[in-house]
Amino acid sequence: MSKVMTMKEAISKYVQSGDILFISGMQHGEPSAAVHEIVRQKIDHLTFVSCLVTSSSLLIGEGLLDKVVTGYIAQDEKRSYAIAKAKAMNRVPVFEEYSHFGVSLALLAGQMGIPFIPTSSEVGADFLKYNQNLKSIDCPFTGEKTGVVRAIVPDVGIIHVQRADTEGNAQKWGTMGVDQEGINASKKVIVTTEKIVDSEVIRRDPNRTIIPGFRVSAVVEQPWGAHPMHLAGCYSGDMFGFFAETGTPEGYNTYLERLVHGVANWEEYLRERRLIKGEKYFDDLCINPIMSEPITTGY
Amino acid sequence: MNRDKEAAGYTAADQMIVSAAHQIRASDVIYVGLGLPFLASLLAKYTHAPSSTIIIENGIIRTTGFPLPAATDTLGSQTMADQLTSLFYIDCLGQAGFINMGFIGAGQVDRYGNVNDTVIGDYLQPVYKFPGSGGANDVMSFCQRTVVILRQSRRRFPEKVDFITCPGYLDGRPRQREEVGLLPGTGPSAIITDLGCYIFEDGEMVLKSIHSGVGVTLDQVKAKVGWDIRVSSDLEETTPPTEKELRILREKVDPNRIWIGGKRRHLRQDS
Repeated sequence: MSKVMTMKEAISKYVQSGDILFISGMQHGEPSAAVHEIVRQKIDHLTFVSCLVTSSSLLIGEGLLDKVVTGYIAQDEKRSYAIAKAKAMNRVPVFEEYSHFGVSLALLAGQMGIPFIPTSSEVGADFLKYNQNLKSIDCPFTGEKTGVVRAIVPDVGIIHVQRADTEGNAQKWGTMGVDQEGINASKKVIVTTEKIVDSEVIRRDPNRTIIPGFRVSAVVEQPWGAHPMHLAGCYSGDMFGFFAETGTPEGYNTYLERLVHGVANWEEYLRERRLIKGEKYFDDLCINPIMSEPITTGY
Repeated sequence: MNRDKEAAGYTAADQMIVSAAHQIRASDVIYVGLGLPFLASLLAKYTHAPSSTIIIENGIIRTTGFPLPAATDTLGSQTMADQLTSLFYIDCLGQAGFINMGFIGAGQVDRYGNVNDTVIGDYLQPVYKFPGSGGANDVMSFCQRTVVILRQSRRRFPEKVDFITCPGYLDGRPRQREEVGLLPGTGPSAIITDLGCYIFEDGEMVLKSIHSGVGVTLDQVKAKVGWDIRVSSDLEETTPPTEKELRILREKVDPNRIWIGGKRRHLRQDS
């Protein structure tokens, strides 16, 4: 059964106010188009779980987040206009801080369906004093101290991939960050993809599938869906362009007016982007592709 | 100091990167953080450590050089890697003891090598909030030798950090790391700054060498440490960069001057 729908439908149907939301793409191929749609629909009171997701500043600046679960994010109003804007609205989220591995482990425990997972990171650091979901316990086998990280089970996870079929069998390559455990821990999954491909394409290289169709709720075809981030095999990024553009009050607000609320969807965003940056902008982000040898399957 | 710098033909920043590269041994497996650690690791790869393995937390493992990235993950740092994987996989390698060297920057570092990347002041009433650990806590927790590289100032070298993001030797007493559950035989091994190089003896930071080639003096170093720093009984002059190292640094590691010479400049992400 095809799960293909528009971004507008997918977000309004599967992301709800108050949700725990996982966003994939640790500085590689984040679902930017989906994040822009969440901002456009003003879905609020979210708990946001991610690592190094660039477009998170829009969710913070628009006051949509109650809590941020992460390892690294700008939190100082002098360095981040999004934080300053959230502060002016009294909507600065609570930051629940881990190391990156800590976030990954919380999601892995969620994926595994277990309540917590031991680690020898986090211990000795002061996170444990302020983050109630990290503890130090005695190992039941050796009696020595070990850290434990509590599981996170997001209500909904969104991932952007290079290719998926209409059922949601999704394939991503390049660096995987916390994608695999984050998306597999999530109760509902939205897949946004550069390209919808025939299921045969997926089945000829099935090791590359990172979540099976039966776990996926919605599939959205969205070319350039990770821009301004890069996506392996597809395009380079302009992360610093985004930071520069949204780093000042005027820049941030112009971005929101023109590129989020001034457009109905990502196709219109891309058209506006061309107008702002010039025709050559997307050409310059294209890559020189390197082809790998296909694998062989069959019997 | 400026006159000496010109006479030397290299800067204190060059010395810092080269000294950091000297910490890398021929076949090290290195967990590399963003920024100066990248420069040092690439310089070592192109000079005395060609068989080293460079590991980047987003999921990149490579034994070949690559264009200096302006962020940890770029298509340049991904392309033609030996393995592309996940952060989880990388940290499993570290936690299981297979990454012998770590290389991180820092907001602050204290007398016992504890690093603060989280907050100045009280956590709940901060004077300044850094972005946080990222992977730095994992690197310092797991690696047998972690080298910390940062520009030195008294503010960045307090006797005790306000917040421990990456545990060093905690309060300096023996076996502190093991007692809280960290892996035995891990911890900070050296601190490299634009003024000198430091090692750890009995869990305490000790000044090992001074960048005298760029005119740094012991008094200058002491003025930029927030406690009465122990000085090694065989204090040395830091080994200066060779002409070859400087040439490779400028022409091969960072030809676009993304990092060399002060603040990071953003050119195209994959230029």
